[in-house]
Amino acid sequence: MPLFDLQRVTQRFGDVAALAETSLSIYPGERVALVGSSGAGKSTLLRLLNGTLLPSQGEVWALGHPLGRLSSRQRRRVQRQIGTIYQQFHLVEPLRVVHNVNAGHLGRWPLWKAVLSLVYPLERDRAIAALHRVGIPEKLDARTENLSGGQQQRVAIARVLVQNPLVILADEPVSSLDPERSRDVMALLRELVVEDGKTLVVSLHTVELARQFCDRIIGLRQGRIVFDAPTAAISDAMLTQLYALEDEG
Amino acid sequence: MTSAPPQTPAAASTGPVAPTAPVWTAGRVWLLVALGAIALSLIPTGLFRTDVVNGGGLPQLGRFARASLTPDLSAEFLAIAGQATVTTLFYAVCGTTLSVALGLVGGVLMSAVWWQAVFPQRRRPFGQVLRLGLAVPRAIHELIWGLFFVNIFGLDPLVAILGIAVPYGAIVAKVFADLLDETPRQPLQALLNSGVAPLPALLYTLLPQAFLDLLSYSFYRFECSIRSAAVLGIIGAGGLGYEIFLSLQSLRYEQLWTLFYALFALNGSVDVISALLRQRLDSPTRMDLNLKRQRSARAGVSSAALSGQPGTPASLGASRSPAWERRTRGAWGLGHALLTTLRERLWQALPAIALLLIVILIPVSFRWVGADYSKLWSPRTATLLGDVVRLATPIRITAADGAQLLQLSLQTLAMSVLAIALASVGGILLAFPAAYTFFLPGGLFSGTRESRMQRAIAWAGFIATRLVLLVCRAIPAPIWALVALFVFFPGILPGAIALGLHNLGILGRLKAEVIENLDQRPLLALQAQGAPAPSVFLYGVLPLTLTRFLAYSLYRWEVCMRETVIVGLVGAGGLGRLLTEQLSSFDYRGLVVSLGCFILLTFGVDAVSGAARRSLR
Repeated sequence: MPLFDLQRVTQRFGDVAALAETSLSIYPGERVALVGSSGAGKSTLLRLLNGTLLPSQGEVWALGHPLGRLSSRQRRRVQRQIGTIYQQFHLVEPLRVVHNVNAGHLGRWPLWKAVLSLVYPLERDRAIAALHRVGIPEKLDARTENLSGGQQQRVAIARVLVQNPLVILADEPVSSLDPERSRDVMALLRELVVEDGKTLVVSLHTVELARQFCDRIIGLRQGRIVFDAPTAAISDAMLTQLYALEDEG
Repeated sequence: MTSAPPQTPAAASTGPVAPTAPVWTAGRVWLLVALGAIALSLIPTGLFRTDVVNGGGLPQLGRFARASLTPDLSAEFLAIAGQATVTTLFYAVCGTTLSVALGLVGGVLMSAVWWQAVFPQRRRPFGQVLRLGLAVPRAIHELIWGLFFVNIFGLDPLVAILGIAVPYGAIVAKVFADLLDETPRQPLQALLNSGVAPLPALLYTLLPQAFLDLLSYSFYRFECSIRSAAVLGIIGAGGLGYEIFLSLQSLRYEQLWTLFYALFALNGSVDVISALLRQRLDSPTRMDLNLKRQRSARAGVSSAALSGQPGTPASLGASRSPAWERRTRGAWGLGHALLTTLRERLWQALPAIALLLIVILIPVSFRWVGADYSKLWSPRTATLLGDVVRLATPIRITAADGAQLLQLSLQTLAMSVLAIALASVGGILLAFPAAYTFFLPGGLFSGTRESRMQRAIAWAGFIATRLVLLVCRAIPAPIWALVALFVFFPGILPGAIALGLHNLGILGRLKAEVIENLDQRPLLALQAQGAPAPSVFLYGVLPLTLTRFLAYSLYRWEVCMRETVIVGLVGAGGLGRLLTEQLSSFDYRGLVVSLGCFILLTFGVDAVSGAARRSLR
């Protein structure tokens, strides 16, 4: 059974179709890269997968559930199995790192526990274990806003580790980082996904990273899938065509 | 710039022609409207037509003024004054605590972001509905609430606490909702996407993100609560207001001044601590910067001076321009050093003070005040509320009522306009000498080589204006009205003067803060190109501050409108007088009508002020 199943999905913003008539299946254990120039529909696709957006037409199935037809409570239960990492990290900067990591528990914690933990951080062992895996255990009690970009992205990944979802979505996770940090973060993501047997869907703006770290590459252009193939089968010609200027195509 | 000569004759003939400057800009239209409103507002005062000044009251005023030098300092009365001060402080603490609690709940429920998190796919107007509903308690002044609660609960401390908590709760809710809606939502969305329920998601994102702003605003409300608690005392709730009213009625001016001094001390210290705290909360980054500077300043030979940066108010003394360092040697330097150390100490102790306030003062206040909360759900309260509803309905308005209401509404409007005109102009004039970045040694407009005498005058002027502002705002408007009634015949003029003086104190301080927070780099740049002080003022200071000044004044006009009620209490006329009369005679039917009229008037003023403020941006 596929983890995600898109059936003829169209997403319009006003008159613009950010994604048009797209069908797609993603299976457990895959490492999928979404590539294409900006505005091609990569972010829209990811936001459809995690339920932030409901499509204008068509249906998105996640983990065997039709996202658009669930109650908010049911949808939340599905969303707990989907972790997302963002380009701008989306951490709460005034909070200490431990709270941002613990936010991964919030889907499961009862309210009293969430409140108590803000006063007296709970499950510090889990938090430090997650931070250890991403390589910054010493930052447990640091204020998040004092961390560098690369460190903040590691905190965001630690939060997803604590959430422990079946699948990790990553929207341009390395676009705010320099090339060196980018490779580190991507290697970290691959390692975590492979070790825990998770699925990864990541949008990237550099094809090199996609080729290096993913086993399936989907090329998007103007809201449509141009190609969808195993990394080994991707030729330079396909990529050249993907990024060719509009009027030449 | 426009008078700059063209570079070549050819450019003069073929160069671009400047379009004629627009004459009727939005600002000028609003200026005309404002001047017209002020002129029209003078008509109902009876100025120039009848006798408004009561010459017979002058000796009385003289006695009152002389008593300021001989306050009653007997141990017996000092004990009374002390107890009254503590009571007022504790009322304010309880009232603020409750209003912040109410405001937090209301603020979340009023915010657009909350309902968007709960119903992500559909738009629900719950927030707007609640916002509209809470506009009514917000429009009604604390005093009206207080008088109403006196009718229900009798003379219980509950009256003072609820009188503050109900309208302030509604105000805080609106501000909190706006703050939450302005906070970046991506972290919240990220948590919601991973299946977190709205409430814990809010707790872990928007609340910590907005926490400093929320706390800062809560402390500002506390400053306002002190003034409200004093006013509520006047209607019998106890505390300083009550004692002041008693002493004034029995013409014991010496006692009155003792109480005034207590009020100044209470108001002044709360304002200073709270303002510093707000400054520190507003920008933690600036604080960090400041702390770093302080460290480096201690380490080396005034390395802060090398940076040459003008001090932010947060870092007064810690980092001053080299000129400041040079000018403040000798005796003045010693005094300044002491002041700096004191301020630095206070600055560092601020979080501890805030924590102390919150952790200790709140429970102590609630215990001391000892309000009878069981009255909130007692059957007697329910019966009395039922009576109020029965007495208030059905609502009837006769033509005569309508005519009277219209006349009183116009009077009230005129009173608010005159009051804000006085407060605004006076506030601007006093704000400059009250700001320490201007005339004090080292300030922008002080000479480079000033004599000891000149410095002394500058300092004296600074301290005197600050004191005037403190006295103006610390004395509640109804007390100012009673004082004004010594020399004016009852009417809207003494009311307007009383409101104007009180708000002058508030606006003057706010405007001084604006001036002190001014980015000084453009001003220093103007000064560096040789512009004399008046030009720097016209081309730098005024453009940088005027918009903010006007915005504050317009906002304060809305407050003035609501406050016309409290000078009405002592007979200064307008709708406020009618409202308080109807409340004390249990005429609820009339009350509902005049209250409705007053609320409409308030909304009208809010709308005009809002439009004017938007056009300022």
